[in-house]
Amino acid sequence: MLILECPYCGVHAEETELQAGGEAHLKRFGPGSSDEAFHDYLFLRENPRGVHLERWRHVNGCGKWFHAARCTQTLEVFGTYRAQTSAPPQDIRDKITAKRPGWTWREFEG
Amino acid sequence: MKRYSAFAVAREGLRYHSGWDRAWRAAAPKRHYDVIIVGAGGHGLATAYYLGKNFGITNVAVIEKGWLGGGNTGRNTTIIRSNYLQDPSAAIYEKARSLYEGLSQDFNYNVMFSPRGVIMLAQTEHEVRGYKRTAHANALQGVATEWIEPARVKELVPIINLDGPRYPVLGGLWQERGGTARHDAVAWGYARACSDMGMDIIQQCEVTGVRTENGRVIGVETTKGAIDCDKLGMVVAGNCSVLSQMAGFRLPVESVALQALVSEPIKPCMDVVVMANTVHGYMSQSDKGEMVIGGGTDGYNNYTQRGSFHHIEETVRALVETFPMVSRLKMLRQWGGIVDVTGDRSPLISKTPVQNCFVNAGWGTGGFKAIPGSGWAMAELMATGHSPLAEAFSMTRFKEGRFIDESVAAGVAH
Amino acid sequence: MSDAVSALNGAEFNGLAKVVETGLGGMITLRGDLASDRIKAAVKAATGTEVPATRRIAIGAAGAAAWMSPDELLLMVEYDRVGAVVAKLGEDLAGAHHMAVNVSDARACFAVSGPAAREVIAKVAPVDLAPGQFEAGDFRRTRFAQVAGAFWLDEAGVFHIVCFRSVAAYMFNLLSTAAHPHAKVGVYA
Ligand SMILES: Cc1cc2nc3c(=O)[nH]c(=O)nc-3n(C[C@H](O)[C@H](O)[C@H](O)COP(=O)(O)OP(=O)(O)OC[C@H]3O[C@@H](n4cnc5c(N)ncnc54)[C@H](O)[C@@H]3O)c2cc1C
Ligand SMILES: [Zn+2]
Repeated sequence: MLILECPYCGVHAEETELQAGGEAHLKRFGPGSSDEAFHDYLFLRENPRGVHLERWRHVNGCGKWFHAARCTQTLEVFGTYRAQTSAPPQDIRDKITAKRPGWTWREFEG
Repeated sequence: MKRYSAFAVAREGLRYHSGWDRAWRAAAPKRHYDVIIVGAGGHGLATAYYLGKNFGITNVAVIEKGWLGGGNTGRNTTIIRSNYLQDPSAAIYEKARSLYEGLSQDFNYNVMFSPRGVIMLAQTEHEVRGYKRTAHANALQGVATEWIEPARVKELVPIINLDGPRYPVLGGLWQERGGTARHDAVAWGYARACSDMGMDIIQQCEVTGVRTENGRVIGVETTKGAIDCDKLGMVVAGNCSVLSQMAGFRLPVESVALQALVSEPIKPCMDVVVMANTVHGYMSQSDKGEMVIGGGTDGYNNYTQRGSFHHIEETVRALVETFPMVSRLKMLRQWGGIVDVTGDRSPLISKTPVQNCFVNAGWGTGGFKAIPGSGWAMAELMATGHSPLAEAFSMTRFKEGRFIDESVAAGVAH
Repeated sequence: MSDAVSALNGAEFNGLAKVVETGLGGMITLRGDLASDRIKAAVKAATGTEVPATRRIAIGAAGAAAWMSPDELLLMVEYDRVGAVVAKLGEDLAGAHHMAVNVSDARACFAVSGPAAREVIAKVAPVDLAPGQFEAGDFRRTRFAQVAGAFWLDEAGVFHIVCFRSVAAYMFNLLSTAAHPHAKVGVYA
């Protein structure tokens, strides 16, 4: 049972209170962008075996969206952070680096 | 290789079964193969088999990081059907289903194909319309299915509750020649036949890198050393993104956990497969008497081969509604597999941006039924560069807007 | 005008715990900047309480205020007073970015009391109800089996639950089943 701490209400919510929202920090490529960028934006999702950054929603709770840094290979949770950011904050990066030195995820790294 | 026969069973019975051969050779990797297939699941082994059988290509290695059939092929609930809506799907799944009919004879190995019939229940008006439409589409595609009324459903499945508390049974899509097969026997049968053709099945050997030169594949790195090849087939289901990353490209796939469970064995009570997609559960009875049960996937990326407990609860709840007698059963075992899900819930059988490197993935929650057809098409694509069955499943279809939308057929059911 | 009635007309079940549908409750969803002085003053005027801390409920003379999310409170006042309170909130908060809506008739309310009340709630909601972990004044939005709901514990040891009116019957049956005399687990005994 996956347990994530909601950064807004502080609840250690087990996953039945939560809804998974897919890849974090997506950048939208719409009209005016190249076919390639539009295709990747629509259809290619990060699917790493290891460190992953995701969006989640505390749907049966305070209702807020937030972010989680997780390992898909071990289900270990490195930390959760607020939605109002387009990059993982430094303390979260440090937490990941402590456990997975040399990690990278899309354009981000430890 | 010695053939299996009634006579052989009798002979071995008289000498303490001391004369059986191993079904396949344990092989150490050679320096070079014409074709390397990564992944000894059903799809990888079937690809190798049809490369040999249909194209005479036998200098082939199938490389497996664990044990053969230990991935989704050995973890699935073995439902076989071909009642898909879109033409390319119906074509490849029906090809697979019809190959299943003769597979045991073809292999001289019993895969226990049991065309006992599959019902997909319609429990909303939307599903009624959808399945009637599928029945019409199937008629045009040459796939034998029919729409049946609730009374006929009850006749086929006496233990069903037609007036469930949430969703009544309004009818069903019935495929009389759908059914099940023994999952690991399918992998073992292919492995035995491949080994018999001289192919190497290399277990406990993980591919850790893909070697390319000028945009063309030249071999792989493995935990047992580097191996060269002219052509490479990646057939690793939930790990396909990891493999494609080694080769330097991305796939439109996400990997999530799907679970199944079986009950204690009971006397025969249901001799067809029933799928209830609205309440999200399905069930069949194995030859051992266990009720084989499955449901939905988890919502998040996962490589751990285990899923979330509450999905089991949801699945069992759905089945208790549909088959009240299930409420008295004890569940014996539960397990998970990592399934590779695409945006349109249809597979990829495709060339890739790397020359001579091919991918077969994205079968998600429903690829067991496709194994023979998928291997057939993948072998043709790898041997000749073109396969009519595989054409629509190219990974370029997303860019081209040619989705094969089976999200109802494969995203939910199996 | 017709008489307003609650979803289950005060249905009651007595088992390991007593489950009661508590009838019509006045409820207002208030959204805005909870740290702002104007919201604080408006909440005080409406309910007689301070803005509650995160995941707490503040109970005052004229009503209660419960923490729903970083920008949302649930104000509870007498059912008949809701119209007036909403109007007053509108005046008090004029010009401040906010929303105040009467949601009374969208909701159903229950009380669960008795020695096994903790256990009954714990069976159906994924919340740590161990004594010390969930105490009087704590407020939690969560899920009760298959439906969303919120609950709090009062000083008298009674749990109060609010959920959508459309699932009131489900909630009552769920709580009654969990409180069935034969369903004792004794986990907090
Ligand atoms: C619980 C469950 C129920 C299902 N029910 C059904 C059903 O009823 N009907 C149906 O049609 N389908 C069903 N499916 C789907 C079906 O099981 C799969 O689509 C199918 O088995 C995929 O076969 P495969 O050969 O592609 O993959 P797999 O059998 O998973 O084989 C891939 C192999 O690749 C190996 N591998 C991975 N990475 C590497 C590497 N780096 N190096 C070497 N080897 C590697 C893995 O170890 C694995 O053995 C179900 C799946 C699950 C999990
Ligand atoms: Zn929260």
